[in-house]
Amino acid sequence: MAKKRSRDLVHRWESNPIITIENLTFPCADISTAGAIKIDGEYILLLTIQSLEGFYAIYTARSMDGYHFEIGNEPVLTPSMNGPASLYDRMGVLDARIVRIGAEYYVSYDALGPHGYRLALAQTIDFKKFERLGFISEPDTKGGVLFPKKIKGKYVRLERPWEGGSIWLSYSQDLEYWGWSEVALTPRGGYWDCDRIGVATPPMEVDQGWLIIYYGVKHTSAGPLFRLGAAILDALNPASVISRTDEPILSPRENYERIGDQPNLVFSCGAVIESDSEVKLYYGASNSCIAVGITTVERLVAACANEVNA
Amino acid sequence: MITNYNPGGRDLLHRWEGNPILTLEDLPFPCNSVFNGTPVKLGEEYLLLLRVEGQRGYSFFALARSEDGFHFEVEKKPVLLPAEKGIFSVYESRGLEDPRGTFIEGTYYVLYTAVSEYGYRIALARTEDFRSFERIALVSEPGNKDGVLFPEKINGQYARLDRPIGLGVGSIWISYSNDLKSWGNSSVLLSPRRGYWDSFRVGASVPPIKTEYGWLEIYHGTKMTSAGPIYRAGAALLDLKDPSRVVKRCDVPILSPREDYERIGDVGNVVFPCGAIVEPDGEIKVYYGGADTCICVATANLADMTHCITTS
Repeated sequence: MAKKRSRDLVHRWESNPIITIENLTFPCADISTAGAIKIDGEYILLLTIQSLEGFYAIYTARSMDGYHFEIGNEPVLTPSMNGPASLYDRMGVLDARIVRIGAEYYVSYDALGPHGYRLALAQTIDFKKFERLGFISEPDTKGGVLFPKKIKGKYVRLERPWEGGSIWLSYSQDLEYWGWSEVALTPRGGYWDCDRIGVATPPMEVDQGWLIIYYGVKHTSAGPLFRLGAAILDALNPASVISRTDEPILSPRENYERIGDQPNLVFSCGAVIESDSEVKLYYGASNSCIAVGITTVERLVAACANEVNA
Repeated sequence: MITNYNPGGRDLLHRWEGNPILTLEDLPFPCNSVFNGTPVKLGEEYLLLLRVEGQRGYSFFALARSEDGFHFEVEKKPVLLPAEKGIFSVYESRGLEDPRGTFIEGTYYVLYTAVSEYGYRIALARTEDFRSFERIALVSEPGNKDGVLFPEKINGQYARLDRPIGLGVGSIWISYSNDLKSWGNSSVLLSPRRGYWDSFRVGASVPPIKTEYGWLEIYHGTKMTSAGPIYRAGAALLDLKDPSRVVKRCDVPILSPREDYERIGDVGNVVFPCGAIVEPDGEIKVYYGGADTCICVATANLADMTHCITTS
């Protein structure tokens, strides 16, 4: 029976979750996040899967309808077991976010090693073979995502340095050397996103500027509550926030969001915008499965201006 | 093992008998403390860019001058205060700390720690006269400090050391740049050593000094005790052509807090170098903060020091 009113701005697909460990042909600890892109009608996800040993690797999943996915049996990006890179990612590669810049597909991800989290970048044409371009930050920063085009002649990324728990911007002329870092969005005292925030989806270009979905954390006596919100950043100066949702657009409520390795968590790394402006938001729930939520660009933009009730 | 050099001293670096060289009483304006100065020798004159902590609690820079490198006179006005407008004002709202000066190709650059509600990050300025400074860029993300520049380009690139905090691991990292503004190709260089005097955290202290054995980096290392950290100075040699490679790291500290002016102060048990001068006769003068409360100098023969490191 249809509910009178949705509990969140983002509507859950009725058959969520779309990917659980039951869908895998191999044993693992859990599935936590999914980067997403649609290419020529095919939906491609980059899943972060934790092995039973406790290390993170990235796998692909493919679908023609955006809901039913085939998952690859072999990881496409794995921790380095030897060589210089193993110092920085031998504990895992995780939270892939996909961006197309011109004709190239870039995947930014977190590298986890004994020194903490660093951002890493890879490039691909077919999502089968990935070329690792290297580490693009010092520790401790994570949640990196590129803008889909250069701004004022420079590549731009969003990220979440551990210090301060805010979302920052950095710029680069070559994707290798980064600088001009500045803070963009900060946690808000008293709000649902009061303790720390980080980027969720890659920036989406809308009339008002860059639409981003981000995650916000509030600490409770039982641990953190991860929710999703949205903001619009200025088109030419993305450190300037045009508007930001007062309320979350998605909060953990269903059992698959409440129960899992990291309870009370919804965490997105990617969304697909359809030609009719429908947004399919792929999100990890409880670090244990992948779900999809549906909304529209218009509703998200209105939510940022705080002009909509779910 | 330290060799037979320095048989009578307690540390490889010899404290000057007149230490401390600058304290609160030497400043021409009221403040809380003066510590962590970086020196430069211009002709025959020694200049020391000082970190001064004001009574309000944030730090800024003043300048001291000396004819001999030991007796300093502090100028009446601070030379660099937190920026009041523009992007730097956002990230310097809680002060400027721990300057480190380096001459590169005729220009004097200062890396310092910019402090704000967003945390610590490294900023870069340049100067010609040490009275006026031109801010160039904020060159790190937050959670990073103790930046020092190499005094020359390496394989065509600028290089720096710094100390990002990753998962609470305080290691020294190296990064490179083509333009001093955007940095990359970062890798870890020196990490804390379990069980050693530098088991808790390490950070770059003195801008690297070129020697025939490699780049000499005098760094600070801490050991955590139940009474708080003990800050000591150590030394390592980095490969001249590829400074991301450690040639040799001294097993023992070259300076440890022992004197009252190093033991007693706002942060007791701290020696914290921020720069050094190498004299034509091979003497190295290391300027360091004592107990976050005063400035001191200690000396050694550079060749003896590198010998001690290579044979430690």
